[in-house]
Formats: sequence, structure tokens, C-alpha cells
Amino acid sequence: MTGFIILGTFMGLIIVSFAAITQKKLADSIILFMGVGLGSVVLFFIFKAPDVALTEAVIGAGISSLIFLMALKHLGEEK
Amino acid sequence: MSRRKINIKRELPTTTLSGFALSGLLVLTILNILLHNMPTKIQTAGDALLKLNATEGVANAVTTVIVFFRGLDTLGEIAVLFIASLGIGLMLHSNSKCNIKAESNFMLQTASKILFPVILLFGIYVMIYGHLSPGGGFQGGVIIASGVLLLLISHKAFEVPHSVIVALETFAGVSYVLIGLIGLLVLDVFLGNFLPHDISQMGLLLSGGIIPLIYIIVGIKVGSEMSMIVQNLIKRDHDV
Repeated sequence: MTGFIILGTFMGLIIVSFAAITQKKLADSIILFMGVGLGSVVLFFIFKAPDVALTEAVIGAGISSLIFLMALKHLGEEK
Repeated sequence: MSRRKINIKRELPTTTLSGFALSGLLVLTILNILLHNMPTKIQTAGDALLKLNATEGVANAVTTVIVFFRGLDTLGEIAVLFIASLGIGLMLHSNSKCNIKAESNFMLQTASKILFPVILLFGIYVMIYGHLSPGGGFQGGVIIASGVLLLLISHKAFEVPHSVIVALETFAGVSYVLIGLIGLLVLDVFLGNFLPHDISQMGLLLSGGIIPLIYIIVGIKVGSEMSMIVQNLIKRDHDV
């Protein structure tokens, strides 16, 4: 069962990361990047690293995405 | 399209690029030295640290490694975060008050009043119980900073006073170094564990000597620095 969860999360991570780098709008990319962070939180927790999982949830998926969004709003929607 | 290309060329000065190349070269050199001096049985290094962990009387082995065995690294990390915060403050600081055009939604305002104490409590819990459960100073500090961010986007008049940030940051940084120096005086080791840390106390809140103390200090410092970064970005956002 755990193996299926790990496999599914890995597949989902690959798909979401690919979607994140191919988005046209940068805001969508950032939201998908947040999704990649959440997926890796699940993986870290399954692989018995709760400290790293908490750090990733707080910093990787939380505040760094928000800082990216603020920087994007400051720069404007340009590519 | 062609105009934008010219802009990109103008915005990338050669000095910065050569600086990046030089630092990359340095990092590669250091990596090369490290890889050549790597011990052959690399998997035993972690085991040795884990065996030593029991002597400090801290339930969470990761905390012992981060704060005690690699305490100097943590001091350096905090210094790096401080420099990042300083750089963002230097680039983005403006004296003008927040002037958001649109009022935020009243649901956001009401929810932030309910959520902010809970976020603050959770951050402080993660910070104080860092030596017993997963988490610690960095995570707790960033959780508190995200609570501050919630208040900043919901209340347009809200602002963390600069003097409070300066006081908290100075207190935290100075006391970290002071604790290290007291350890140097008492035990001849920088950041030595000079408070009682008996193994029979393992798992209690007051255990592990200076380790929970240092994690709380790290939490205060990281929380104030991240709050300052977020506030500078938000205020800069509203100026434009």
C-alpha cells in the first residue's frame, strides 16, 4: 500500500513539475510549484523525515511561493 | 521582441556574471577537495552522531545535530538569513506608508482575526517543542512570519514596528553568541552544553540543557527576519 502511495506521488510530482515548467502564465507556474512542494512533503513524511517535511511545508510550499507571487506582482506579468 | 532582447543584455552586467563564474569556480574547487578527502565508510558518520545523541538527553536526534553538533553552522545560517533580510531591506525599503487602493474583503479581515492567534500559537509550539517533536526554530519562525503576512494582506493599516524587529533581532543574535561564549568559558568548547542535561530527563520539556534555549532564540531571529522581508515586499508592492 505504501509502495503504491510512493509510486503515485512520484508520478504526480513528475507530471506537476512538467506542467509547472510548461505553463504560459507565470502565476500558474508558481501555483503548480506549490503543488510540487506539497507532493514532496508527502514523500519526505513517508520516508521518515518529518523534520524535513515540516520545513518543506512551511518554507518550500508556503512562504517561498508567496514571496514569488509578491515578486511577480511587483514585476508585472511579463515573460 | 528585439527591443526586449536589448533590455536583457543591458540588465545583465558582465561584472555580476564574472562574479557568479568566480564563485562557481570556488565552489567547485571546494567540492573537489571535499570529495577527495571523503571518508571511505560514509554511512557510519551518521551512526556515530546518533550514538552520541543520547549523551545530550534530547529526544529529537535531528535537533541535536542541527543545534549542538553543528551549532556553528546554524549560527552561520542565521547570519546568511540576516544578510538576505538586510539586502531586501536596502533594495526595497521605502518610508511611505501603506496605501492600498482596494480594501481587502471583510471575510479575510474577520478570518485573519481568528486565525492569527492560532497561527502564532502553533508557531510558538513548534519552536518550543523543537527538541521533542519534529520542527524547531526555523520552522516556527517562518510559521509566525506567515501569520504576520496574513495580517499584512488583510489589514492595510497594520505594520510591524521597526523598533520591535530591531530589538528582537538584536536580542536573539547577541544571546546566541553569548550562550556560545559562556560555553567556551565553562567547558572550553564554543556552544558547549553547560546547563544540566541528564539522560534520565529525556522527553521532558526542560531537558537537553541549552539546546531548547538556542532553538527558541533561532525561532525569534528567523521570525523577525522573515517578517521584515515579507513586510518590505508588501510595502514595496503597494508603492508601485
